[in-house]
Amino acid sequence: MNPAPVRAYVGVWIALLALLALTAGSAFVNLGAWNSVANLVIAAAKALLVAAFFMHLRRHASALVRVFAAAALFTLALLFALSGADYATRHIAPVPWSEPASATQSSSR
Amino acid sequence: MSAVSPAVPAPSYVGEGYTLRSWLTTHDHKRIAVLYAIAITAFFFIGGAAATMIRLELATPQADLVQADTYNKLFTIHGVIMVWFFLIPSIPATLGNFLMPLMIGARDLAFPRLNLASWYIYVAGGVFTVATLIAGGVDTGWTFYTPYSTMFSNTNVILAAAGVFITGFSSILTGLNFIVTVHKMRAPGMTWFRLPLFVWAHYATSVILVLATPVLAMTLVLIAAERLLHVGVFDPALGGDPLLFQHLFWFYSHPAVYIMVLPAMGVASEIITCFARKRVFGYRFMAYAILGIATIGFLVWGHHMFVSGQSMYAGMVFSVLSFMVAVPSAIKVFNWTATLYKGSITFSAPMLYALGFVGLFMIGGMTGLFLAALALDVHLTDTYFVVAHFHYIMVGGSVMAYLGGIHYWWPKATGRLYPEMWARVAAVIIFAGFNLTFFPQYLLGYYGMPRRYHVYPPEFTVLNVLSSAGASILAVGYLLPLAYLAWSLFRGEKAGANPWNACGLEWTTPSPPPKDNFAVTPTVTEEPYAYSPERDAEMPGGKIAQK
Amino acid sequence: MSAVHPIAEQFETREQQREADSLGTWVFLATEIMFFGPLLLAYLYGRTHYGEGFAIASGHTHVGLGTLNTALLLTSSLTMALAVRSSWIGGRRAVTLLLAATAALGIAFLVVKGIEYRKEWEEALVPPFRFVFSGEHARAVEVFYWLYFLTTGLHALHLTIGVALVAWLALRARRGEFGPHYHAPVEMTGLYWHFVDIVWIFLYPLIYLLERWR
Repeated sequence: MNPAPVRAYVGVWIALLALLALTAGSAFVNLGAWNSVANLVIAAAKALLVAAFFMHLRRHASALVRVFAAAALFTLALLFALSGADYATRHIAPVPWSEPASATQSSSR
Repeated sequence: MSAVSPAVPAPSYVGEGYTLRSWLTTHDHKRIAVLYAIAITAFFFIGGAAATMIRLELATPQADLVQADTYNKLFTIHGVIMVWFFLIPSIPATLGNFLMPLMIGARDLAFPRLNLASWYIYVAGGVFTVATLIAGGVDTGWTFYTPYSTMFSNTNVILAAAGVFITGFSSILTGLNFIVTVHKMRAPGMTWFRLPLFVWAHYATSVILVLATPVLAMTLVLIAAERLLHVGVFDPALGGDPLLFQHLFWFYSHPAVYIMVLPAMGVASEIITCFARKRVFGYRFMAYAILGIATIGFLVWGHHMFVSGQSMYAGMVFSVLSFMVAVPSAIKVFNWTATLYKGSITFSAPMLYALGFVGLFMIGGMTGLFLAALALDVHLTDTYFVVAHFHYIMVGGSVMAYLGGIHYWWPKATGRLYPEMWARVAAVIIFAGFNLTFFPQYLLGYYGMPRRYHVYPPEFTVLNVLSSAGASILAVGYLLPLAYLAWSLFRGEKAGANPWNACGLEWTTPSPPPKDNFAVTPTVTEEPYAYSPERDAEMPGGKIAQK
Repeated sequence: MSAVHPIAEQFETREQQREADSLGTWVFLATEIMFFGPLLLAYLYGRTHYGEGFAIASGHTHVGLGTLNTALLLTSSLTMALAVRSSWIGGRRAVTLLLAATAALGIAFLVVKGIEYRKEWEEALVPPFRFVFSGEHARAVEVFYWLYFLTTGLHALHLTIGVALVAWLALRARRGEFGPHYHAPVEMTGLYWHFVDIVWIFLYPLIYLLERWR
């Protein structure tokens, strides 16, 4: 096992803190919907740094391990995507027996 | 630490120790498989007792045996026990645990102590379920739908959910163990495409186990919390969505049915090749089909929700995907059939079970296509058509394959032959009883009889009586193996290492195998299912007594 | 110096055991991702159906403490990664100190979290036990805080387990158990620790940073 030098790890740490400052700071600026996008992209970047460097996915893990890491994320994405397909279209393509729109006014949706 | 060729043969895994303690603290995958077999058999008969009560009640249109509340508890506990405490662990935790290391040439699974922990966790979950029964049962249906389960049911929902939650971890750990074992413990020369299809099937099953089961675990936490604390995301009054529960629940529970059927397919491939004396037709397609079923199986859960209020668009997407999942299954059925074609077939008991599996799985699978069609499902959903569909696959399919596997590997695990005539008789009785029980239910559903009702209009009486009569025959069929298999442990003819002259590494060790499985780690050079006339000529097929 | 650690019985070589342990740990982490997944879906449901209410609720969270906690956890990942690195090349003192630092940072996180929870209790934002919020978004705020306590509570539980594991490893490291010949437990626990960190990396913006510009 020939590990990376200490400064490589510290470098990643500094990058992580910088990203943290970026995400926290940008939250106080009104970018509309882009705030969420920025936050999620930055979170993904931080996670990728931790996974690639601290968890050694980049240099020391076999292809198999990377496949498993990806598979779990992909499966989660499936859950979100297909459930999302329902939520995104429920009011534009409802089934014939669901409540008519007027009745939902009083509900808390 | 590799084994040295012994001058004196090593004791079998049974002979390693006779105390209860040696069994309860074992790390040996074979012993753990036996522990599981005993536990799941017990649960099978408890779940079967609930089914007996159900069919007795349904023999008449009125409520005579039980009232509605009790009936609801009966079908709930039948479902909970049969799905989570019998079917899901059945083949993987018994046959899988016993055979996986043997089939790949390993001494044990990758994590033997984790394996034992899995069994204890399973038993702990079982204790909670039995406690639920004693405390008065639960009546939400095995599907725990909200808001009934979180807000209105007066029964032991949290206790039942806890039992399932705990047992889920048993499944997850078994799946984890199998995945690492298949990747890292194969003997030299055992490449992926030399693996028996049984191993492929269990690998795919394990991937589903580890990815889907945690979702169920969290979903159960959410309903327990909502029930206890009256805050949550499933209650419309609080701003939640009951369909969120259904999406989460079925995201696990649909792949769960592939957990139940893929191992059965693996068993079928082993038995059919052996008793047709032919290698499997289209090995690679069979392996890819297994992976295909597991993958597409994650994409179809919304077909349980066609009438729930899910959007029509989502319904159409799930319908198309559900049709697609039938394709790899159909490939497998075609390939089993092609394997049989021009084979030299023996109708041994395992073969009878395997053939029954293929036919009944096919019928069940095709009726699944009826249900995948949105328009048909509107009429058929929540009727007995659905009940018949899933029993054809889970009972006509998985349970028959399980019994076939138990019989096929019985000589290997116990060193004894079971009485062949009784086994064939039982297989036929089970087949007949099964069809008489469940075929009428297709008709009942088509004619509109809803499921989960303890009473029905008098015009459905004849079909229900036929179904209940079939159930009594089925019960006899299930009790017979219990009797003669137990008998064979003490009086059965001793079996040699390979009574079926079958291909596969598990048949190259003594019956029963020693603790470390192989005296010397084997090196694999043969293709799987290397059946041939030459092989049969050297050593004629059929039972051979230990020399 | 420590003795050579024996290979477990079921394996042929040390390398095989190491690979099996590594793959097993990653498969376990995959199950944990799927375990947290439904909570994220529930959150997504709330966020998309109650955008306004969730944003208001997020405004009541303590972003300073949350940001501090994120920094603490990221730093603990650094110390953990360095501890693993030290265990590869040997160095009893380095491994012990780094593991101890990791555990200490984890405890610091939990303390800060405790302070936050206490504030939330005082502010009556703990459904269903002590929750008072009026206005048209009350229900959404309640759902938000319910999910907040559930996800951060679960995360804290995982972190506590992690702290216990790391502390135990630190004790073993002090006895000189780990080095180039044997470091699997440190590596595997490291993977678990980083995973807990990654979960928090995602929770942080979802909880604390919704429409902070208000």
